[in-house]
Amino acid sequence: MTSVTASPATGFLSGRALRLAVGGILIINGMFPALWILFTSLKGEPELTRKPITWFPDLATTENYLRAFADQPLLLFLFNSFMVALLSTIATLSVSTLAAYALARLNLRFRDLILSAIIAVSTFPLVTLLVPLFEVMRALELLNTWAALVLPYIVLSLPVCTLVLVSFFEGIPRDLENAAMVDGCTRLGALFKVVVPLSAPGVFTAGILAFVNAWDEFLLALSFNSNPALRTLPVGITLYQGEFAFPWPVISAALIVGIVPVAVLIVIFQERVVSGLTSGGIKG
Amino acid sequence: MTAQPNREGSKSSFTRFLDLSETKLAALLLAPAAILLVLIVVYPVGRLIWTSFFNLSLTSGMPASFAGFENYGLLLKDPIFWQTTKNTLLITVVTVPGALLLGIALALMANLPFERKWPVRLSLLIPWALPLSFAGLIFAWFFHSEYGVVNDVLRRFGLKGIIWFNSEEWAMTAICLTIIWKTSSFMALIILAGLQTIPRSLYEAADVDGAGRVRQFFEITLPLLKPSIIIALIFRTITALQTFDIPYTMTRGGPGSSTATLAMYIHQNTVDFLDLGYGSALAVVMFLLSMAVTMVYLRFIRSTR
Repeated sequence: MTSVTASPATGFLSGRALRLAVGGILIINGMFPALWILFTSLKGEPELTRKPITWFPDLATTENYLRAFADQPLLLFLFNSFMVALLSTIATLSVSTLAAYALARLNLRFRDLILSAIIAVSTFPLVTLLVPLFEVMRALELLNTWAALVLPYIVLSLPVCTLVLVSFFEGIPRDLENAAMVDGCTRLGALFKVVVPLSAPGVFTAGILAFVNAWDEFLLALSFNSNPALRTLPVGITLYQGEFAFPWPVISAALIVGIVPVAVLIVIFQERVVSGLTSGGIKG
Repeated sequence: MTAQPNREGSKSSFTRFLDLSETKLAALLLAPAAILLVLIVVYPVGRLIWTSFFNLSLTSGMPASFAGFENYGLLLKDPIFWQTTKNTLLITVVTVPGALLLGIALALMANLPFERKWPVRLSLLIPWALPLSFAGLIFAWFFHSEYGVVNDVLRRFGLKGIIWFNSEEWAMTAICLTIIWKTSSFMALIILAGLQTIPRSLYEAADVDGAGRVRQFFEITLPLLKPSIIIALIFRTITALQTFDIPYTMTRGGPGSSTATLAMYIHQNTVDFLDLGYGSALAVVMFLLSMAVTMVYLRFIRSTR
């Protein structure tokens, strides 16, 4: 009964040294690219073109960050990305909460078919819809507005959010809801007063995934906004490349500025993100 | 987010929801999702197929005229269409298994009993959260022929640096390596979640039977991981067919159009050339490619439910 539950890897595999080495490999694999551009962003012009190249900056400088904000309206890009991602998140959560509740709780004859349809329809490659979406947005007079991005981004995150929320809603005892309805709550009242608050972790997880999806999107942001004032960060960052020159330290500084917000989000909510990704797993 | 319905103001109309049948309530709750999917996907797909049968170029100033299969005929004779399709399929065939193998390796490493889980978890999450376009830019700098870190490492080992972006083969290699790196961490997260559901007792029993570590991997771990691997593979395949961000930010499809993908060619014809008819025909081809993958996916979902 109380036999020692030694890991199958007893012996050399569970050794502390090996764990440290493997952990080191994982961390280098995951963090090195971000660290490398951090180093680059701190290097001054003379050091950058020295050969052989240096790994760590000899003399850290903030000039590249100042130039990143001066050469392009980086703050505006950040603001646009933030607003588009925030609006997409709120809209996606609203739509997918309602849909997920119907799928999780109501007796639907075609439940599986509807769920499959939501997944299938939403995994359509967005790039193939470039032409018709362009026409739809033009017809609705939404070109060069945030809505031109927010509407497709809802569809982008709808499947993963719906799957995450369905699995959370299914975990909430029906009795709680029934009790609320006996107390005079309507069905929708019970959804918003009982089910959603109890599913707060799931709603939150879905929200982070929707936010990251919208924050990362490049193709539609590149294609639907010809107005420079509406550019999002991924599009804006490509503008630092001149016709012939690639100011790599400045680009690196801008990239670091772009990475930090989402990195902070990920560091704080890492466990939720992992659980959300693995329960609804969509997005490569 | 958890906006409370305004119950005071519209009590009477609101309580009417009580009388709704389940079906009506379901229809009401699913309506926003349905309207969006129709507006953003279903109608555009129909419109796309329709437009692909027309000559419609916004730069020509001519009104749209019916062209039958003319766009598709042009496409079959267009060397750039074949080149970009070949590149897209090559990227898919190389990076999907590549990311899977790296993902399995990362997941097995991350599954060791670490005292602190968060550094390992973060090292898988950060690449996932990094925008593809950022990854493309970062790795373009990595592979820079003079000041890039990749060539620096090669030189330290006494090898010659490679001029990565001047030849089709090396540029494609750099792109594929970047995509494999970027996408493997998501694979690893999915596979890691699968690994953690395998009961330890299975390995203990295998130990008793004297099965070695390698045999345990192939006879216990891999078969039990199959469902998570298949899900990860299908999503990865669908996104690989749409590859755009990384080649666009790394090479802009160059040299020439030797590293351009089908998605980039669609974007170019649509946004740069405003040739909506031809762009639509190209998009229909890609649509069919990913439909095939989605079909396989749905069949798999249905068989496991």
